[in-house]
Amino acid sequence: MTREERRNFLKGMAFVSPWLVGFAAFTAVPIAMSFYYSFCDFSLTIPRRVPLWIGLENYRVLFHDIIFWKSLRNTLYYSSMALPAGMLVSLGLALMLNANVRSQTIYRTIIFLPSLVPPFASAMIWLWMFNPSMGLFNFLLDKIHLPAPDWLGERLAMPSLAFMSVWSVGNTVVIYLAGLQDVPRELLEAAEIDGAGPWHRLFAVTLPVLTPVIFFNLIMAIIGTFSILTVPYIMTSGGPAKATYFYTMFSFDQGMVYLHMGYASAIAWIQLLITLFCTVLAFWSAKKWVYYG
Amino acid sequence: MKKKIKFAIYALLGATAIVFLILGSKQNKPVAPADFTVVEYWEKWNGPEFLAMNQIVDDFNNSVGKEKKIFVRFTSMSQIDQKTLISTAAGVPPDIAGTWDQQVAQYAAIGAAMPLDELAKEHGITEDYYLPVFWKGCSYNGHLYALVSTPGTIALIYNKQIFQQCAPKLREAGLDPNSAPRTLQEFDRYAEAIDSHDKDGNIDRSGYVPLRSWYIPQLGYWFGADIVNPKTGRPELDSPAMVQAFGWVQSFAKRLGPRALMDFQNSMGNFDSPQNPFLVGKEAMDQQGPWMANYIRNNKPSLSELLVPTDKEWQLPDRKANYAWAFAPFPSAVPGQTLVSYNSFDALLIPSGARHPKEAFEFIAYVNRQDVSEKLNILQCKNCQLAHVTANFLNHHPNPYIEVFQQLAASPNAQCVPVCPIWAEVYNELIDTGQAVSLEAITPQDALKQAQTRMAERFDRFKRIEMQREELNIN
Repeated sequence: MTREERRNFLKGMAFVSPWLVGFAAFTAVPIAMSFYYSFCDFSLTIPRRVPLWIGLENYRVLFHDIIFWKSLRNTLYYSSMALPAGMLVSLGLALMLNANVRSQTIYRTIIFLPSLVPPFASAMIWLWMFNPSMGLFNFLLDKIHLPAPDWLGERLAMPSLAFMSVWSVGNTVVIYLAGLQDVPRELLEAAEIDGAGPWHRLFAVTLPVLTPVIFFNLIMAIIGTFSILTVPYIMTSGGPAKATYFYTMFSFDQGMVYLHMGYASAIAWIQLLITLFCTVLAFWSAKKWVYYG
Repeated sequence: MKKKIKFAIYALLGATAIVFLILGSKQNKPVAPADFTVVEYWEKWNGPEFLAMNQIVDDFNNSVGKEKKIFVRFTSMSQIDQKTLISTAAGVPPDIAGTWDQQVAQYAAIGAAMPLDELAKEHGITEDYYLPVFWKGCSYNGHLYALVSTPGTIALIYNKQIFQQCAPKLREAGLDPNSAPRTLQEFDRYAEAIDSHDKDGNIDRSGYVPLRSWYIPQLGYWFGADIVNPKTGRPELDSPAMVQAFGWVQSFAKRLGPRALMDFQNSMGNFDSPQNPFLVGKEAMDQQGPWMANYIRNNKPSLSELLVPTDKEWQLPDRKANYAWAFAPFPSAVPGQTLVSYNSFDALLIPSGARHPKEAFEFIAYVNRQDVSEKLNILQCKNCQLAHVTANFLNHHPNPYIEVFQQLAASPNAQCVPVCPIWAEVYNELIDTGQAVSLEAITPQDALKQAQTRMAERFDRFKRIEMQREELNIN
């Protein structure tokens, strides 16, 4: 490295240093420390302020904890519904909003608006809509003489939360819309000239071109559904009888409510590994269905 | 033209933002006089309870505080249990934390609260000044870690009007519509006689719904259970008495149907809302504290003004006649055992690392002065934690049944929060167990066995690591 290059390197480092320092102090170091703490008994307060090395004890207890398995099962169950539903609905909405119709911007704004509502506010709105006796859904069902279910009861709570998650797909729709602007017009026109109908054009041209965007949204959705916390915490607090107790609630309760920081670190590391595994799986499958042109 | 409209909209939005920034940034934080020690006091309350305590804080700042140059800065704090722990861990705790009773042992066990024995002794606050049940609840491992701000003894509240409406059915069942049930068997028969369903099988009016109670984790007390071992603090969740208690919870699901029970629970409003089922006449009996009188007065005053408006009730020969509801001891399942109660309380503790513990305790001691304690408990509509109360307290209390609570709290069968270092976890485990048995998803025996296995393991691990730390002298 010449003197000029070194000077430039140092200047560059100086410019990015605010981010580097922030990343090190608030992300990298805490992640590394949490890995160490996952092998310790550690409660932050005296007499447990100094981490006590206990080896694999936290992991051993975790794998024998029925709440760990229950929360994991619940999270996977929720993900299996919320993830495909969110992907399909957002893609469908994006395709519709991409159509050249009057007042297009108004429709786009309406779809995006729920994403701007704070999670607490949206949870309260949905709590009322799901209310068995005074809620909107059961009011409508009653009008057409259909039985009114308990939407947040043991059986339906999880599908209801997954259904609700679709409400705030605005951000994903915007990403799809941006991706749709990149679909080459000449390809669509060529397909049309060759006699391809709208469905054929969608499946043969638009979707293949959009696969990198779909893949990106899939990765984000995997991370998002695995770390869901705020809305179910407000709406059900994990109940009834832990029917909606998610993995992140388990981690939050152990860390922030009971102050078992070592145990909570172990829980978080297992979550990271599971998310990583699913992401790697998605990357592996991407070779077969994502086209980068 | 279009450009002008756009400009006008942007200008309006900009101006609004500036106005909000200027006006919205003002804070009403009380300013302490110079050279005064500022005591930071976090409290979980908001609403009427906050305003009541605010009066006490103002009284202190204008009297003892002025004299001793102490200024208490009072802040309402949501999720106070978590925030106090985190701030204590970070080394910047408040000087006083107004937590719930169940945090006392938890904080003491992990070293998050300061022992107060010496400070209490200096202020002449000793065991005999308090009702024994509250002193016990404030202690852990033989040391005092908190004092009470306001207590809340739990009793049975029942709707006298519903009892009268159901008088024929109650009489048919051999029950007296003019009095409260005296045994748990009688209680069940009252509840069953009052229950009614609509044409679709939904609960229209319930005698009692156990899931709405906040006291499911402490229910074992009314069945003679200890919940945790009184000597070691180890959870004893699957004892026969606990199985009986949770079997009782499940008996409601068996009789009313788990689905109907859950629907009823979810369709009704919160405790502090006008949709509270007791207030709308959908529930005849509940487990509640004395504060319920205030909530009824605020949300459904007609239930407390049968004859005259509240301000004129003092002229009545018997002010209780003005009320559509009454309080009585919640009956025990153990034959011959009377005046059983759970005695919850709001605790004032000094987190470890607080900057001004001595000054903080001046305020805690002030709150526990006879006159101040009675004033606060009247304002918040609670009973009193002190061994003796004045006639003025009993005669001018907003809850006309306050003697019931004083009697229950002074009884040898009065119980408080179990002294267990992992009680917060045990508490949540028992809430889940209550829900699971109510859904008839599991038998009480199996549910409690599972809960016991988990909690006993947690407790043993806690103790094992505590010993390991002591041996290695790591803390």
